[in-house]
Amino acid sequence: MAILLLGFLALCIRLAQVDPEALINGLPRLLNWAAKAWPPLLIDLDAFALRGLETVAIATVGTVVATLLAFPLSVFIARNVTPSPALSLPVRWAVNAFRGIDTVVFALLFVAAVGLGPFAGVLGMIVHSMGVIAKLNAEAIETLPSAPLEAAALSGANRTKIVTYAMLPAVLPNLASVSLYVWEANVRTSTILGIVGAGGIGIEIKAAIDLLDFPKLFTLSVIVLIMVTAIDQFSAWLRRRLV
Amino acid sequence: MHSLLIETVTKRYGTTLALDDVSFVVDPGEFVALLGPSGAGKSTLFRCVTRLVAPDTGVVRVLGRDMSALGGQELRLARRDVGLIFQQFNLIGRLSAMDNVLAGRMGHASTLRVVLRQFTRADRQLALAALDRVGLLERAGQRADSLSGGQQQRVAIARVLAQQARLLLADEPVSSLDPQSAENVLGILRNIARETGIAVVCALHQVDLARRYADRVVALRGGRKLLDVSVNAFDQNAFQELYGAHPG
Repeated sequence: MAILLLGFLALCIRLAQVDPEALINGLPRLLNWAAKAWPPLLIDLDAFALRGLETVAIATVGTVVATLLAFPLSVFIARNVTPSPALSLPVRWAVNAFRGIDTVVFALLFVAAVGLGPFAGVLGMIVHSMGVIAKLNAEAIETLPSAPLEAAALSGANRTKIVTYAMLPAVLPNLASVSLYVWEANVRTSTILGIVGAGGIGIEIKAAIDLLDFPKLFTLSVIVLIMVTAIDQFSAWLRRRLV
Repeated sequence: MHSLLIETVTKRYGTTLALDDVSFVVDPGEFVALLGPSGAGKSTLFRCVTRLVAPDTGVVRVLGRDMSALGGQELRLARRDVGLIFQQFNLIGRLSAMDNVLAGRMGHASTLRVVLRQFTRADRQLALAALDRVGLLERAGQRADSLSGGQQQRVAIARVLAQQARLLLADEPVSSLDPQSAENVLGILRNIARETGIAVVCALHQVDLARRYADRVVALRGGRKLLDVSVNAFDQNAFQELYGAHPG
């Protein structure tokens, strides 16, 4: 078993074309660039901040819409409340497909379909996040204790009533927590969407790298770091308050 | 018309005979204690009444309706007449006591009203009256999971009152309560039976509680009906026969 694992690892190293020599040769270049990055660029800060806000906006719109679309899907695929066990299987496959293909891939498709800009990023993010949220929501729904739901069914309530009145309040903190978590991840993802032309601060990052403008890259990196940290902290604070 | 009629009901799970030719009736306003050791068939009997399972042979009638003959919407309507009280209360913990009692109106209110949580004034008044009936009106706004066990069970009773059930099935309703709360809950159930004419079938472990609160005792053992007697006739010998031991 150990030999198999080592063999697999060796194969992977080969396939990944791991080349320490290239790294050693490239390292001085990197250090040289790092040295050139100081002092950071301090003009155009307002334009960069706007791009940063655009990044947060893509993530926020994408996550909110994905959350709304994911809820009915999650009810449909959760084994304990699904209206149709037979149909839930193909829906589950679709959800897994949305989840399995990354936001950036969907964003590339939407750039081709609706043109360059943040809206393509939003659309790509909606499709992928919908899959992620639906899957995580369904898992949260499946862990609910069954007895209160059965009690509701035995009082003569139909499925819609059970789901909205008995299930939703019980699972709501989990659903909100899932969406906040996905929102955090989406803010990080949307910083690179610009590289494929789908809006946000990534556009500036790509331009800076293409022009080897390291002071600008430094400034942009700091903006991304501050933004992502702030969102993470805020979201974590909100999630703590949900329980 | 009997509130509940069980006629020669047999239910087999694999090779186990869970219910073996059981018959008895419960009339409006009666409080019947269903006694028997674990595995005697009490839960199976309840599951047959709510049609969670169908009996192999025999008939279960609730207020005259043959439960086996119903399905879909008809079954939902029939189930509204049967109120269930559980050992673990089965409230929705994050909702208020009032919202849990309103859950008893789910079978009556329109789907839109339930989804939007916009119950009619009549529904709300019914729920408040039910909470008042179990002495918890002042707790209406409190979250269910912050109430004590005894209070939660009283909310569950208010829920079946709001449901306007005419037959209550209580499955070990006091097994997880302290003695004081147990007496309180059984007292409420008995008064409801006497004052409103709702029939109560209450599965119990504690023989002395059955003696003090029930009108009649039906005892099961190994799926068979062992006894069906008025509480005055339920004596020491009957107990010995039931549990095969002397009371401690």
